[in-house]
Amino acid sequence: MNPVARISLIVAYAVLALAALGRSSYQISTKLSEAPVPYLVSGVSALLYLVIAIALWRRWAGVALVGTAIELAGVLVVGTLGYVEPSWWADETVWTGYGSAYGWVPLLLPLAALILLVRERRARAARAVASSTAPSAATTGDAR
Amino acid sequence: MGIYTGVVYPLVLVVCAVLAIVGLATLAWPRLHRALKLITPAAFVAAGVQAVTVVALLLTGIDADMILALGYLIASVALLALLGIGRLGTPEAAAGDPDPNRPVLSPLQIARVDAAAAAIVAIALAVVSWRVYVILETAA
Repeated sequence: MNPVARISLIVAYAVLALAALGRSSYQISTKLSEAPVPYLVSGVSALLYLVIAIALWRRWAGVALVGTAIELAGVLVVGTLGYVEPSWWADETVWTGYGSAYGWVPLLLPLAALILLVRERRARAARAVASSTAPSAATTGDAR
Repeated sequence: MGIYTGVVYPLVLVVCAVLAIVGLATLAWPRLHRALKLITPAAFVAAGVQAVTVVALLLTGIDADMILALGYLIASVALLALLGIGRLGTPEAAAGDPDPNRPVLSPLQIARVDAAAAAIVAIALAVVSWRVYVILETAA
């Protein structure tokens, strides 16, 4: 992955993690009984952002890929359920309205991250195929 | 309170706006990295002045939600650590890391990383400052 894109993603996820961690830790510690599901969802999203930021930093591509996929699924499910079953949500979460309170960054960021991670995965696979075929071609050439 | 709403809060917003604009401009024209480096200390000063002012207001008895206000203040200070994060990609920084896969960035890449970080931090800092302003304004 382009290092500029990777570090920009890390910064964006670190900021989101900071925002979500602050919000959810305050909500969970002071008023969890008022709306347990939304506040716990916000807490889970905060932990997910933290894990993805660390995974991108440490180059744990598999963890980052799974984390961003879960994040995207969470945004889509929670965002849709917020409109379909508003009675389930006593308060807003980070993913409510597809992350509208955060400028839709929670929706756009996993899309961008998934595109970059999948592209990197394909490039790595192509490199692995190329490197595994190159020695055999050389061997064939030697045999002649 | 008047100093905060009349001077400090507008100062923070102006610094955030300049930081975001110069950050986005540096993404397009990395030669502006030098200008971005000059503006970064202004963000530190603005966030610091805001933190001191808000703490002073909270200590002088304004009836605001102290946990929330302090939480946002801590967040505003923590965000500053991400400014100039491109420095972690310099050859000197990478040389001290035992991780052999740590990327070494070219000056152009460092400029772009700093620019993207500046734009993200500027937006986040403005939002956090706005939240602090709302908390204090509601309490006043």
